[in-house]
Amino acid sequence: MLSAAEFSHSRPFVPEAATEAHGVAPKSKHAKWAIEFERISKFFGAHRVLVDLDLQVQPGEKVTLIGPSGSGKTTVLRLAMTLEKPTGGDIRIFGESILFDSAGKPLSTSQEARIRRRCGMVFQQFNLFPHLTVLQNLVLAPTTVLRQSKEQAENTALEYLRMVGLEGKVHAYPAQLSGGQQQRIAIARALILKPEILLLDEITSALDPELAGEVLDVVRGVAHETKVTLLIVTHEMRFAREVSDRIAVFDAGRIIEQGSPDKIFSYPECDRTRAFLQSVLNH
Amino acid sequence: MTWDWSYAVEIVPNLMVGVWYTILVTLASSAIALIGGLLLAILEIASTRLGRTFVRFWLELARGVPILILLYFTFYVLPQLGITIPAIPIGIGVLGVVYAAYCSEVYRGSLITIPTELRDACVALNLSQYVTWQRVLVPLMIKRAVPALLNYVLGLFRETAMLFAIGVPVLMGEAQVAGNESFRFLEPFTLAGIIYMAMNLPFLYLLSRYKDKHA
Amino acid sequence: MEAVLEYWPVLIQGLWVTVWVSSCIILGAALGAIMLGVLRVSRTGVIRVLSMVFIECIRGPSALVLLFWVFYALPLLPGMPQLSPLAAAILVLALDGAVYGAEIVRAGIEAVNRGQADACHALGLSRFQSFTKVVLPQALSQIVPAFGSLARGMIKWTSIVSFIGVQDILYVANNVRAQTFETTIVFCLLAVLYWILTVLCGLVFRELEQVLPLNRALRAARAPSAYAPAGAAQ
Ligand SMILES: Nc1ncnc2c1ncn2[C@@H]1O[C@H](COP(=O)(O)OP(=O)(O)O)[C@@H](O)[C@H]1O
Ligand SMILES: [Mg+2]
Repeated sequence: MLSAAEFSHSRPFVPEAATEAHGVAPKSKHAKWAIEFERISKFFGAHRVLVDLDLQVQPGEKVTLIGPSGSGKTTVLRLAMTLEKPTGGDIRIFGESILFDSAGKPLSTSQEARIRRRCGMVFQQFNLFPHLTVLQNLVLAPTTVLRQSKEQAENTALEYLRMVGLEGKVHAYPAQLSGGQQQRIAIARALILKPEILLLDEITSALDPELAGEVLDVVRGVAHETKVTLLIVTHEMRFAREVSDRIAVFDAGRIIEQGSPDKIFSYPECDRTRAFLQSVLNH
Repeated sequence: MTWDWSYAVEIVPNLMVGVWYTILVTLASSAIALIGGLLLAILEIASTRLGRTFVRFWLELARGVPILILLYFTFYVLPQLGITIPAIPIGIGVLGVVYAAYCSEVYRGSLITIPTELRDACVALNLSQYVTWQRVLVPLMIKRAVPALLNYVLGLFRETAMLFAIGVPVLMGEAQVAGNESFRFLEPFTLAGIIYMAMNLPFLYLLSRYKDKHA
Repeated sequence: MEAVLEYWPVLIQGLWVTVWVSSCIILGAALGAIMLGVLRVSRTGVIRVLSMVFIECIRGPSALVLLFWVFYALPLLPGMPQLSPLAAAILVLALDGAVYGAEIVRAGIEAVNRGQADACHALGLSRFQSFTKVVLPQALSQIVPAFGSLARGMIKWTSIVSFIGVQDILYVANNVRAQTFETTIVFCLLAVLYWILTVLCGLVFRELEQVLPLNRALRAARAPSAYAPAGAAQ
């Protein structure tokens, strides 16, 4: 469905292009980490969801978070997307905190908006806008956030639709598409803003197995053809093994183990990792 | 003209008479509305085409014609037909009849949400139609309808002020009489407004308690 | 009957006033309801509580009491204006409609899936853009039908404006009744006129529902395969 040849026609997702587009401060080019969580703790009320979490991801690295449900994986992605605020700790994107300015004061809305533009996110439930057509879904952010002209945004949108193999659905509404198609649109909608970091939260969990494949194919393409940094939460272990540079295992709000896919899947150190992998693989 | 405390205190007893009548009218017409609404709902669900048409007409009347017009109509037209009824029963009756129509919708809505399996179970147990309704469906229907009904009773209470138009001494009427007598409107209307607001509180308390219990 | 109909020019004029007042208060209420509804779901607790108190204070005393207070009592307070009957009527009824409508708007906003706002945030939209372009258009599908029945009710509310001297249909009809003594006919005519107005209002809102973006999308999805995958590369 999505050959490498097709990909070469479409826009490259190289960070340089994205950096140019958003006029990022030069210092961040030399940042060591694309995203960095430092001693993050997160409470929901009295319920502690993340415990002094440390996680660093290099630019271009593909990191997959696995672990039992409720262990805090989604929360990590939502924190990176500024959909939640941590209770303690700091998060930096290309060296810039998404919480505080250099004087240690909380960021203003506009400062935060500038930094969070470097992240994109795809959700488990797609979250396409049901009242807009596929094309309108894709051009909404470019026209309102990047202030592109409608024509320019639509041309770009068509390219991305071609990339996910759905150029025939331009004027369809989300409700007219299968779940797999909707999720591919959601991926295109995130990619069109050229994020340097892409957060994927269980993007195939709401799909029937036969539809999951087409979505994973798109992600494989993105992972192999571009330098975008990927932070993935998934229960598809084969896929995780294939695309990840590194796997981090979550349990009860902590990372209990991390390492290369080979290490984690073949020689897990923790008992809990072993137990978790067994339960997933036997499933 | 500034606020005159001595005058304000002077009219309080009169306003209290209004409060008393407001409570009386609210209670009496709520009773009509709640019971009448239930009967209308049962009539519509269980009866023939004729019964349904009758209920539909009643509902349209309540929805499309202002209470004020209905009040005037009964108040001025009935005497022409030789029937003289004092204003208070007329007020209670009209409010009750109009809100009965609204309430019947609520009952009907809550009946629709009762799962059909439950009716099947009643049939399976060989319960008679009468027992099914009396012991199973109606109690369930009422229980589900409580918050919406409470809202309508609150709405009915607020509309009792309208009855001053035909001379019922509700709080609004007493305030107006007091104002007209002394040509001072600030104190009576302000006090009436505050008292009306305060009288909302029990309703709001009940509604919030119900929400807490069932949230 | 003829005796009453002879007064048709004034009756039409009264009807016109009723229609005009109704339109004004429904429009005003719609705008006010959206603003108050937004405050009602504000992220700031104080704003939420204040807007709730305001709402209860407006609807606590009924529109009638509020109308009399604004028209007769308010001007007696130092520095307060004496509003014309028409202005007072429109102000009070629109305000009352706005506070009832605010609860409708709040419920509509809360019914929109949280994920929609999350997606907007992830795409970099501001909270205002997210509200106007994504949340509100979807919420309207729930708001408009409920607001439609509120609007029907608001037409009936206008009958109280004659108390402070606005010459609406009820005011005019009462004069006609005093001159012709045709009580039954006059009130039947009034009932029918109000009923027609409310039915028309219901129709307008039914039409409005048809053009809402989410309803259009869902209709398109229900229609059998308007989008056969003609050029879709699958
Ligand atoms: N908005 C919220 N309010 C309260 N608790 C939450 C909220 N979001 C997540 N949680 C709790 O945080 C824990 C971690 O959730 P999550 O990050 O979604 O886990 P995962 O994605 O690994 O399944 C869960 O116990 C969940 O119940
Ligand atoms: Mg999750």
